[in-house]
Amino acid sequence: MEHARLQLVNKLFNDRPKSYKYNLFQMKLLIDRLTQHYNLTDYKQQRHNLAFVTVDKQLSPDIITHLRDYEGFSHFVLLSCVDWIEDDKLQLTYLLNQPNHKYEIGVRVLIDRKNPEMVSLHKMWKQIWTYQRELHEAFGIIFPGSPRLEENFVLEGWTEKPHMLRDFDTKEYAERTYFPRPGRTSNDPATYMREKLYPNQPVTAKTNKND
Amino acid sequence: MINSFLGFKPDRSLYPKTNAEGKLEIDLSSHQYTKLWLGPNHPGVTGNMAMELTLNGDEIVEGKTHVGYLHRGFEKLIERRLFVQGFPTSIRMCVAEPDTNEYLIAACTEELSGYDKQVPEMAKWLRMLSLEMARLQGLLRGVPGQAGTFSLGIGVQWGTYLRDLILDRFEELTGARVYHMYIIPGGVRGLLPDGFKDRMEDNLKEIDQFIIKIRKLIFNNAVFKTRAVGLGVITPKMVDQYGIVGTNARAAGVKRDVRKDNPYLFYDLLDFDPPTATEGDVYARTWVRWQELIQTVDLIRQIMAKMPEKGEIRAQMPNVLNWRIPQGETYVKLESGRGEYGLYYVTDGSDKPRRVNLRGPSYTHGIALLEDMLVNTNIADVHALMVSLQVCPPEIER
Amino acid sequence: MNIKDIFTPFTVWSSVLKDPVTIKNPIGREAAPRYRGFHYNDINACIGCGTCEAICENQAIDLVPVEGIVTKSGDSGLRPMVDYGRCCWCALCVDICTTASLRLTNAYTWVDTDPDNFRFIPGVDKKDWDEVQLGWRKPEPNYSFYGLHRQHMGELHAEDRKSSFIEFVQGYSKEQAQQEADRCVSCGICVATCPAHMGIPEYIKAIRNDDMEEGMRILYETNPLPEICGRICTHKCEDVCSIGHHGDPLSIRWLKRYIADQIPTDVNTYQDILGTGNLAKNGKKIAIVGSGPSGLSAAHYLALLGYSITVFEKLPAAGGMMRYGIPEYRLPYDQIDKDINYIASLGVEFKYNITVGKDITLDQLSKDFDAVFSGTGLHLGRSTRIPGSDNENVYQSVDLLRDIVTGKPVPVMPKVVVIGGGNVAMDITRSMARLQMEKYGKVDVLATSLEDEDFMPADREEIVEAREEGCTIVPGYGPQEVVLENGKLKGLKVWKCLSIFDENKAFNPKFDSAQERIFEADMVIESIGQGMDLSYLTEEIKSKIEFNNRGRIVVDADYQAKGLPWLFVGGDIIEGPDVIHGIANGHRAAMGIDRFLNG
Ligand code: SF4
Ligand code: SF4
Ligand code: SF4
Repeated sequence: MEHARLQLVNKLFNDRPKSYKYNLFQMKLLIDRLTQHYNLTDYKQQRHNLAFVTVDKQLSPDIITHLRDYEGFSHFVLLSCVDWIEDDKLQLTYLLNQPNHKYEIGVRVLIDRKNPEMVSLHKMWKQIWTYQRELHEAFGIIFPGSPRLEENFVLEGWTEKPHMLRDFDTKEYAERTYFPRPGRTSNDPATYMREKLYPNQPVTAKTNKND
Repeated sequence: MINSFLGFKPDRSLYPKTNAEGKLEIDLSSHQYTKLWLGPNHPGVTGNMAMELTLNGDEIVEGKTHVGYLHRGFEKLIERRLFVQGFPTSIRMCVAEPDTNEYLIAACTEELSGYDKQVPEMAKWLRMLSLEMARLQGLLRGVPGQAGTFSLGIGVQWGTYLRDLILDRFEELTGARVYHMYIIPGGVRGLLPDGFKDRMEDNLKEIDQFIIKIRKLIFNNAVFKTRAVGLGVITPKMVDQYGIVGTNARAAGVKRDVRKDNPYLFYDLLDFDPPTATEGDVYARTWVRWQELIQTVDLIRQIMAKMPEKGEIRAQMPNVLNWRIPQGETYVKLESGRGEYGLYYVTDGSDKPRRVNLRGPSYTHGIALLEDMLVNTNIADVHALMVSLQVCPPEIER
Repeated sequence: MNIKDIFTPFTVWSSVLKDPVTIKNPIGREAAPRYRGFHYNDINACIGCGTCEAICENQAIDLVPVEGIVTKSGDSGLRPMVDYGRCCWCALCVDICTTASLRLTNAYTWVDTDPDNFRFIPGVDKKDWDEVQLGWRKPEPNYSFYGLHRQHMGELHAEDRKSSFIEFVQGYSKEQAQQEADRCVSCGICVATCPAHMGIPEYIKAIRNDDMEEGMRILYETNPLPEICGRICTHKCEDVCSIGHHGDPLSIRWLKRYIADQIPTDVNTYQDILGTGNLAKNGKKIAIVGSGPSGLSAAHYLALLGYSITVFEKLPAAGGMMRYGIPEYRLPYDQIDKDINYIASLGVEFKYNITVGKDITLDQLSKDFDAVFSGTGLHLGRSTRIPGSDNENVYQSVDLLRDIVTGKPVPVMPKVVVIGGGNVAMDITRSMARLQMEKYGKVDVLATSLEDEDFMPADREEIVEAREEGCTIVPGYGPQEVVLENGKLKGLKVWKCLSIFDENKAFNPKFDSAQERIFEADMVIESIGQGMDLSYLTEEIKSKIEFNNRGRIVVDADYQAKGLPWLFVGGDIIEGPDVIHGIANGHRAAMGIDRFLNG
């Protein structure tokens, strides 16, 4: 029994790297083909079947169409946004899946955080308008022409700034909007022990908590 | 199907016209149309979701999905917590199969921090076991639930009882019935208790009988056939157009299953072939799910037979309070009962994730697809469609 | 459609006579043994470290004082209070609890009409499930939220180290230090136990962030001798480290040494990092008697405040016991110099070979300076006064250790017996072992102590290492007589020690004369403690100040001698004896002097 299991596991560890290598090879070829047409910055092979590339905002609809129509990336997985507030950029990630080769590519587009606007791709896949509507609500990104963009997605009657932006402080909002339970106080062990045991002695000035 | 069966033909001339912008011209004051809010608190609706329906008689001319009534902002909450604190929150993003979220958080953090190779073998088997048990309990509710939308409640009662037995096993293994919080970055939180496999086998035997009974009850049932056949057809072409995944795609003849396509854990050690159908209607989807029920029972047996007797359950990870992950991003996916379920995870070198974005199948199934599918159907079929697409609002709202 | 489809569904009627599930499995069953139900905390085992609070993602835990639980070293006296309005029963608090005192029982029903009752202190507020043993506990083993095991410290092999006085502890590499630092849960329990109350979690955090300059600044806030302390501190903090309850305590001392070791020796770097390049003088002058840890600590903090400091030392170099008591293999001289040179670079003036009371009087100092700090330490060996202890081959460990440093010839004989079980006894034992190795090529040293092995005052690792180096340690015997034959030393007669203290907790050892042993020896070294030499205090001064029943000078919280405002006293003659107490009271005395002179 144990022996049979070990054999199985060993087989797996022999077979997997082979298929991973094949996958990786296919992805490398894909990236080579893409670089012939497009200027890809920041290519990162995250896994044997997942790569991320960054492209220019203007180029992105083009490259996504190319991926869908010529490279077989027919399955649109997700559209997401990451707020790089330090760099004043929003990163849109279009994640596409190639069902035949079974690999995925994430197309990253950096857009201006102050004036977030992006071409709408709602004509390419039927579910994209939902993502764009959500990103409009959550990050304030404008996708001109996208259907029902202005409709509320999950937040009815929201008047604050888009809630997924890094500078929207959930905790502060919750404290302002709801009532914290009265009477809750806590003590930091080190500070408490100092007050109890050695109140007047020189100590390190900083507090002890992990941020 | 039902319409043709009863010899009913709707008068399409009364339907609203499409204007130049492609929008329907619905003049509510004409008294020709009714606005109906189905949900968010309606026993037939899956979860707390609302359908804003515009009716012409009992036919739907337009449907809009509204979510946000149950949970909101979990992704944001996880972004504000340490890596290890993410999983108790994440499970709420899918109530039906919470384990999937735990696994994704664990897999993403492990991959980005480079600990994925260290996860012990035993932990991987146990992860797989809990994921399949989650699929099983979901199907035990989902398959008879489809008949339930046509008011055939008895199957649901049987299913609920059996699901409860699986929850008992979950309780033994993980310490909780619904929100298991079992898969943790680095491994899992406990070994199988003594005698677990025997008790599980007893439960699986009961489920075996249930599978036969449910076939007689649902699939050889004139009412179910009349209502379900031909309803809500998904064509293979629609699969890519809408991003349809899982059993919904497989019932349309598009064989996609993450467990097969991009094997994770030890799924490539298990012997199985995802069932498919070609019709793509509600009946086919339920049939595929019923077959998947058989398969899941088999998979659990396989896992219990193939897994080692003992082993380590968690890799030695950095102190969870001080754990930082270098900048990076990844997308990890798995096959949940509803299809491809993935997590896009971005880290920035701090001790908290920069962005956590869940891709639930319901996001496409429940909005773009459902809204288009509802048009021209009868109001009595709304629940059937919703359940057949396995729409789960928490993974839309997140 | 098929006619069968009309009839098959009626097969469900076959279930009609079966008992419903609710009868088979009535409500109210016990939850699984691992169930995550309500909290219970073993209140006596909990130390109030607050780690459960830190991990709780729902902020469901507050640390609150509990009546009857006193704050003491190693226990904050706080206990977690859970708010069931927020808790999600994830049991992360249980999994991380450093003492494994917290657990979840498998009780899961509780009805109460007052919502405030759902905020309670598990284990303190009595609940129905307090006796329930089943439920979620910290999973073990091989499952831990922090590293349980210490990073191994590289050391020279016993065979190599016993033949030389080279430092044998090699110090952590960067990777080791970071992994060790990673184990800290930043609870801060250790801070109160450290006599100097160093910012331990803060400097450990600096190591994690690989920010040595920040680490250095934190060290110097409370301790101006990090290289020294990082090597020979008695690390009382490690005894209470909360990680130590279920694993090895953090190597706090080695981490401190790691930070100090990373900073280059050159004093300008020190001044740059610590921002002490241009200290403004305030024109006041302080005399410091003795350059041991307390004197150096006082000098450092007073110099930072702008005082002009002069240190009077009777020996030819600064450091006191750190230089003349602690052997080089534990504390190399260049590391002592590294710390002291920086203090000197702050403008502190050292006057060596000047004995206060002989070369200059204390009265004179009080006239020349605005205040005087005296940290003269304990450097007179104490004798056992057993018969024969006046033999010429009976030595005092302090004298020998000092002679080794100053380079005076030290008598080394083939068979040595050391009386004493403290760190100094171990120091002389191991030093003699090295000298014997040099001279005879083999080790034959025996150390005997009154206390049993488990109560020997020396650090555990000192005893282990001494044995590794070939020394024999025989605990639990009391010396009775130095055996002489024709005036020649032959050995030491000991009796088994039954108890050390009497009912009144006074020192009064009881022996069993039946269990007698004689340790053969050519040389006996007494190392049973040291006494102070206060001969520099004139009668006039002595009449002004007060002494307590142990003969120590009475000082107030600022270490100001009672009755003589210009005299501040610290170091081993007040507390200790150890380096870190000296550093702490030197620092406090410096603050006291500043308050005294500047109001
Ligand atoms: S972690 Fe454990 S020991 Fe520390 S305060 Fe909480 S219950 Fe007490
Ligand atoms: S069980 Fe979880 S939510 Fe509840 S107090 Fe513990 S850590 Fe917090
Ligand atoms: S060293 Fe130990 S006691 Fe001190 S803060 Fe770290 S974990 Fe807590």
